[in-house]
This record gives sequence, C-alpha cells and structure tokens, in this order.
Amino acid sequence: MELDSKPIIQKSRRVFLLGNLLMSLGILLVTVGGSWDITNHVLNKPESFVSIPHGVMYSGVAMSLIGTVISFAIWHKIENKKSLKISLKLGVIGIIVLIGAGPIDFFWHSTFGLDGLLSPPHMSLIFGMILTSVGGMVGLVRYHVISKSKISKFLIIVGLLPIWLASSGLISSLSLPFSNTDFFNFNPEPVTALMVATLCYPFLISLILISASRLSKNKFGIISLTGGLFLAIYGSTAILPNVTMSETILFYSTNLIPLIVSDYIISKLNYKHAKYIGAGILGSTFYMFYYPYIMYTYNEVLLGKLVSPSLIYSIYFELIIQVFLITLIPAIIAAFAGCYFSKRVSDKIENL
Amino acid sequence: MKKFFPISIASVLIGVYLVLSLVVFPSFYLSKEIPNPQPYFDVKISNLSILLGESFDVNIFSKNIGEYGDIHILSIGFPSLDKITDEIKLNNSDFNHQYNFIEKNTLVGSNYTAGDQKVETQYALIEVMNRPSPPNGSYDFQFSVTPKNTGLYEIYVKAIEIPHTSNLSHFPHQGMLDPQSEYVEVYSVIVNP
Repeated sequence: MELDSKPIIQKSRRVFLLGNLLMSLGILLVTVGGSWDITNHVLNKPESFVSIPHGVMYSGVAMSLIGTVISFAIWHKIENKKSLKISLKLGVIGIIVLIGAGPIDFFWHSTFGLDGLLSPPHMSLIFGMILTSVGGMVGLVRYHVISKSKISKFLIIVGLLPIWLASSGLISSLSLPFSNTDFFNFNPEPVTALMVATLCYPFLISLILISASRLSKNKFGIISLTGGLFLAIYGSTAILPNVTMSETILFYSTNLIPLIVSDYIISKLNYKHAKYIGAGILGSTFYMFYYPYIMYTYNEVLLGKLVSPSLIYSIYFELIIQVFLITLIPAIIAAFAGCYFSKRVSDKIENL
Repeated sequence: MKKFFPISIASVLIGVYLVLSLVVFPSFYLSKEIPNPQPYFDVKISNLSILLGESFDVNIFSKNIGEYGDIHILSIGFPSLDKITDEIKLNNSDFNHQYNFIEKNTLVGSNYTAGDQKVETQYALIEVMNRPSPPNGSYDFQFSVTPKNTGLYEIYVKAIEIPHTSNLSHFPHQGMLDPQSEYVEVYSVIVNP
C-alpha cells in the first residue's frame, strides 16, 4: 500500500508544480502586456479599454487563475504539504485581488476615460500580481529544493522574473509622472519620485538577482539568464515598438556586460564579499536597466523638458552622466540592502 | 598575481561598459537629428456666400509632409461662437482620435509648447489629433455650418506637429496670430439676409 501510494504523491506534486508554473507564467504575461500597454499609451494614447496589450494582460490573468485552481485542487493530496501552504495562500489571495482589478479597471475606464499609471484599479492589479507571483515562486523553488535536479534550477528564473517585473511596475507607478488625467492628478511629487526610483530600483535588481544566485547555489549563468530575459522583455515592449528609439537597442544590449561580470564574480571568484561586489555593480546600473521611461522621473527634477515619444532617447542621454553621478552612492547602498535581504528571503524559502 | 587576474578582467569589462554607456552611445545618439515633421492643410468651402438659414460645407485635408511625428493636431476656431452648438454638424473624420469640442475660457496650450504654457480660449474650438503622425499621413475632417446670424462668418484653421522642432512644425508659417499666439489661416463666408 505504501509503495502504491508513492507515485500518486509524486504525481500530485508534479501537478502542483504545473499549477505554480501557470501562476508564474500567467503573471509574466500580465507584466509583458503591462509594459507594452505603457508604451502604447505613450505612443498612441488609446481611448478605448479594448486593446491588444490589455488582451495579453487578461490572458495572463486567466492563465494564473487556471494555475491557482489547479494548485488549490491538488494541494490536499500532496505529501508534506505544509511547506507549500504559504505558496497556495499567496496564490489564492493574489488571484482574488487580481481578478477584482478587472471590473474595477473597466468601471474606471468607463467612468473617467483614460486612466493614469497610478490608479486604484492598477494598484489592485499590481498587488495581485506581486502576491500571485510570490506564491508561484515559492512553489517552484520548493520543488527545486526537493527535486534537486539540474533542470529545476530554471524554475527559479521562471519564479523570480514575474516578481521582478511586477515589482518594477509598482516602483514605476510610484515614480513616473504618468498619472495626471482629466479627472485626477495622482502624479507623485517629483523629488519624492526621484528618491523612490533611486533607492527602490537598485534594491529590487539586487534582491532578485542575488536571490536567484543564492537559490541556485551560485550556479554561473543564472544571474545572466534572469537579467538577460528581463532586458529582452523590456527591450521588446518598451524600446522596439517606438520607431524613433529602435536603434538604441544596441545601447540597451550592453547591459548584458554588468550582468555577466557580476554573475562571474559571484559564482566563480571565491571572495568573501563577492555577492556584495556583484550587487553593487548591478545596482549602480539601474538607470541603464530601466531605459527609457525612467528618464521621465529625473527629467521632472533635473531638466523639466517637455517630452514627446520621439524625444525620449535624446533627453535620456542628455541626463545619463548627471543621473549616474548623483545616484551612484545611494544606488550601491540600496543594492547592498537588497543583497542582505536576499539572504533572509532565500533562507526562509529553502527552510520552509 | 593569479588571484588578481580575474578581478582585473572584470574591472576592465565594467570600465568598457561605463565608457560605452556614458560616453560613446550618448554622443552617438545625441548627434543624430531629431525628426522634423511638417504639417500642411488644404481647405475647401462649398459656398463663399450664402443666405441666412442655408449651410456651407467645409472639407479640411490635413497631412504630414515631413518626417515622422508623434502627434498631428488640427485646430479649427469659430470666433463667433462661445461653444460648439447644433450650428456645426460634423460629417466625417479620418483622424485616429476622437475630436474635442473646446468652449470659450478653457485653458489650452499656447506658443507651440504643447500645453507647457497655457492661455484661456477666447472662442469655441474643435481640436482633433492623430497619434503617431507618420510621414505622408493624411487625414480628412469634414463638417457643415449653418450660421445663425448674418454678416461675415469666420473660421480659423491651424495644424501643429509634435515634436515642434522648427518653424516648419506648424502651418501656416505666417499670417494672423490667434489668442494662443499661434498662426492661423482665416477663411470666411458671407451670410446674406
């Protein structure tokens, strides 16, 4: 009886893994649609709720919902299910918040027309995304911890990437001046927005990438791959759709260099503070990582120029040295904090 | 020596990255010319003299004859009106954005600053835009007017491209300045009793 029940338990864990995968990939789709939607608003200023980026986003929500339902349905059959309870809880709460955002978003568009980046439905959407993606990530990492297979390391990337993108969405909402509409002006105060961007982006980059490295036991390639996928998503949704900026993809691609260098330092060099060195390098490049829209935050305070889509890159490059010098120290300190916090997070997930 | 070799290589790579990101690419991209879109329009009015109670049609063919632009704005002013009423009937618009009726005393952009400097309107306007504004993109805007008073009925028309990079980014390039300190082409129809 014991022998017969073993394959059933393993199968149920694999089904739970499938649920977690769908949760994370669904949120990844939402973030891709979200980033594309921002570009669509900047370029075309659409007047209708119905748009392709919104379609991509809500397909992602549907995928995450299916994933959460699968995880919920199979969870009670899993052996040693206690360690996965937090994954399921976060997933269920997240998906409820996420689904709740849909009708609120539709109502908001219908009542107030075009909405800004920071609005109650968008906040609900982003918090739902973060909770669901954290739920998915915990399930995926727990599977990796138990299975210890070579291929399961990639689950860490699938788990962390949507959290990175969703959290970036939160920071962008709190720092970009994209929220002044006919009915409400939710634009953040410019200096506060600058401080939010300068501290939160490097913290997040460091937290995600150093956590990826820790969870994979410092496997070389994990930081480069996670960061490379982030660059690919941002490049294809925020840079390439703007015809006047498509050439600047070459500049954006050079961000692979600090990723690979940090990856190498952390994985291959046996230095006592290798992770902090890597985190510092990664954090200091945040202005380049978040090209192009991050420029709006710094332009508000440093230049105050009127920006239209074809001027984005020129104003960005006009500011780049000034922003790099002003933000270097605080960005490195924030990245150190992210590195420190990543140890707490990865230890907690591994020892659930 | 062996211990310091990898970190030296890493430092060199980071140095190369910083030089590329902060010096080489910015100078390269900043040396490129910013696109210079140029608006143009042609206006056809069905009758230059009508009787009170009759209507006349206005067809505006607006286009971008320059390079890629972000926004093509067409603005039509009615100096005899405080707001757009049933006197104006819209027949067709090819613009990809919905037209806006702007009443007198509304804050609008001025001096070709796309909203950075604002003034109050002195009369009713219709504003319509196309985003983005590709080269050779052309748009029709057609409406009918049934004046309610006799005399000279005037219509002011102007087109602006964003980014507004030179004197060619607006049309007309000279003539009468409207209350927004922007050039307008004046069209008039005599309404007889």
